[in-house]
Amino acid sequence: MTATPMLPATAAPTSVNMAVNLGGLSMKNPVTTASGTFAAGREYSDFVDVSALGAVTTKGVSLNGWEGNASPRIAEVPSGMLNSIGLQNPGVEHLKACELPWLSEVGATAIVNVSGHSFDEYVQVIEALEDAPVDAYEVNISCPNVDAGGMTIGTHVESVEKVVGMCRKATRRPLIVKLTPNVTDIAEIARAAEAAGADAISLINTLMGMAIDADRRCTLTSRPFAGFSGPAIKPVALRCVWQCHNAVKVPLLGMGGISNGTDAVEFMLAGATAVAVGTANFVNPQATIDVIDGIAEYCERHGVKDVNELIGALQC
Amino acid sequence: MALVNERVRILENECVGPNLYLMTLSSPAIAAAIEPGQFVHMKIPGMEGHVLRRPFSVYAADTAGGTLDVLYQTVGFGTNHLAALAPDVANEIESAELIGPVGRRWQAPAGTQRALLVGGGVGAAPLFMLCQELVGSGVHVDVVLGAQTADALVCLKRYEQLLSRDVRVATDDGTLGRKGFCTSLVQEALAAGVDGAPYQYVACCGPEPLMKIVAGQAAEAGVPCQISLEKRMACGVGACLSCVVDTVDGKKRSCVDGPVFDAEKVVW
Repeated sequence: MTATPMLPATAAPTSVNMAVNLGGLSMKNPVTTASGTFAAGREYSDFVDVSALGAVTTKGVSLNGWEGNASPRIAEVPSGMLNSIGLQNPGVEHLKACELPWLSEVGATAIVNVSGHSFDEYVQVIEALEDAPVDAYEVNISCPNVDAGGMTIGTHVESVEKVVGMCRKATRRPLIVKLTPNVTDIAEIARAAEAAGADAISLINTLMGMAIDADRRCTLTSRPFAGFSGPAIKPVALRCVWQCHNAVKVPLLGMGGISNGTDAVEFMLAGATAVAVGTANFVNPQATIDVIDGIAEYCERHGVKDVNELIGALQC
Repeated sequence: MALVNERVRILENECVGPNLYLMTLSSPAIAAAIEPGQFVHMKIPGMEGHVLRRPFSVYAADTAGGTLDVLYQTVGFGTNHLAALAPDVANEIESAELIGPVGRRWQAPAGTQRALLVGGGVGAAPLFMLCQELVGSGVHVDVVLGAQTADALVCLKRYEQLLSRDVRVATDDGTLGRKGFCTSLVQEALAAGVDGAPYQYVACCGPEPLMKIVAGQAAEAGVPCQISLEKRMACGVGACLSCVVDTVDGKKRSCVDGPVFDAEKVVW
C-alpha cells in the first residue's frame, strides 16, 4: 500500500473579506500563531501552508542565545498545560540567518517576538532586525519564566512606558506589545503601552501557575512557577481583551485558549482585531487553518461580509 | 519523509502482561514510512480535559497491511485511559490521530557486523524493528532483555523467532533467566564479544538508569552506543522545546533531534 501524499493545509476559499489591519500590519486574515508554540513556522510546514496564515509570530528571540530552563519544562493540567521553557533561543543572528529568510521565501508575513534581559537588549534586538524581512515586532514584556526581563517589566506602568518608548524610537515598523494577565489592572498597563507608542497590544501571555506531584512532594516543573495556557484560560483572556478594548484605541491581538473558529470569533467580539493560536497547535497541527476556516464559516453563516464587522461587536 | 497527521483506527488493544498493552493501529501512511527508532505522537480519543498528545514508540510496522504495533505500559492518566478503550469496530471509525513518523532513527556505524541490543522492560519494543533490519542485512545480533518478572518479557518470543536462538534474559525476581539486573549480562557479552570478536554497536532502550549504566559499559569497552530518550513532550514536531535533553552540544530536542542519541553525547 502506498502512502497518500498529504499536502500542507491551506485556508478554504471564502467570499468573506478576511483581511485586517493590526496597527499598520496588513494581515490576509486575522489569525497568527502565539509566540513559542510554532517555532518560526518551519516545524509545522508539513501540516500548514504558513503563507496562508495572517502572520507567523516567531518564538521569542534575544540578542544572544539563551539556554532556557532545566527540565522538566511542562506539565499537563486540567484543560491546559504549564510551560517553563524559559525563552530558550539561539539568538537574533540565527533567526536572521536561518528562519526569517525561509519565512520570506515561502511568502509568510512575519511578526518577530522580541525578548530581552534589559531595556537595552530589547532595543538591540530590534536594531539587529531592522534590515531583515520582518513585518512587525511583538515586544515580549510578559514571559513569566525568566528572572530578568519578560514579566518583570510588564507588570509596572513605569517600566512598560520606558521599554515601549525605547523600542518605539528604534523602529517605524508596527510595534505590538504583549501583556501579561498577572497584574492587578491590565487596562492600566495597556494604556501605558499605548501612550508610549505601541501600535497594537497583544494579550494574554500565560497565567502564572503551579502543579504539584503529591506522591513525590515536588512541583511538576523544575521551576515551581510556570505559564498556564490552553482552553482553561480562555475566560480570563476574553475578560482581559474586553477590558483593554474599553481602555485603549489601538487594535488588539487576542489569544488564550483558542482552538477553533468559534473561540476566535468570541475574541473578536470582545474587541480583538486579530487572534493567535497557541497550545492548540500541539493538539492539532493544523489548528491555525481550522481557525481561519471556522471564522469564515461563522461569517458566512451569519451574513457577515467583512470580518472587521466582528471587532468589538458584542451586543449584550 | 514529511510528517503526516493521520487519522487511524485502533484495530486491537489487548493486555499482554502486567500493565502492558499491545495495540495495533491501521495507519498506512506512517506504516509505509516509519524507520526503526522513530515514534508516533498520538491524540488519544476521548481525553477531554487532558489536552496533550502522547508519544509512543513503535514495536513493529506492517507496510503491506498498513498497520503499526505499539507496546505500551500504563503509567498515568493517558495510558490508563488508552488501555480502557475498545478497538474501533466499524470500518469507518478512525478514532485516533497520529503524527509521524517522528524523530531520528537507530543507526549502527557503517560496516557493523556484530551488534548488541539491550532492552529493559517495555524498552524491548522500540529495538525490535532495528533487530529485524540488522538481521535482514546479515549482521550478527545478540539481544539482552531485562524485566521485573517473566510475564513482563512480552517481546521475548518475537525476538527468539527472529534470531532463531537464545535471547539473554534477566528478571528482577528470577522468574526467568538470571536473577537481577540485565546489566551483568551486558557486561559479560561485551567482555566475550562474538567468538572473541568485539561488538561494533550497542543499542539500548529502557529506564534511564539502565541506559546510563549500559552507555558506561559500552564506553568502557570502546563500543559505539546509542540510546533512546523520551521526555515530557508537547508538540512532537520540534517547535515547543519542552522535551530538551542536555548534550555536549547543548540542549537538543528529544522529539526530532532524538529520540535516538549517541550515548557519548548525552550529559546524564
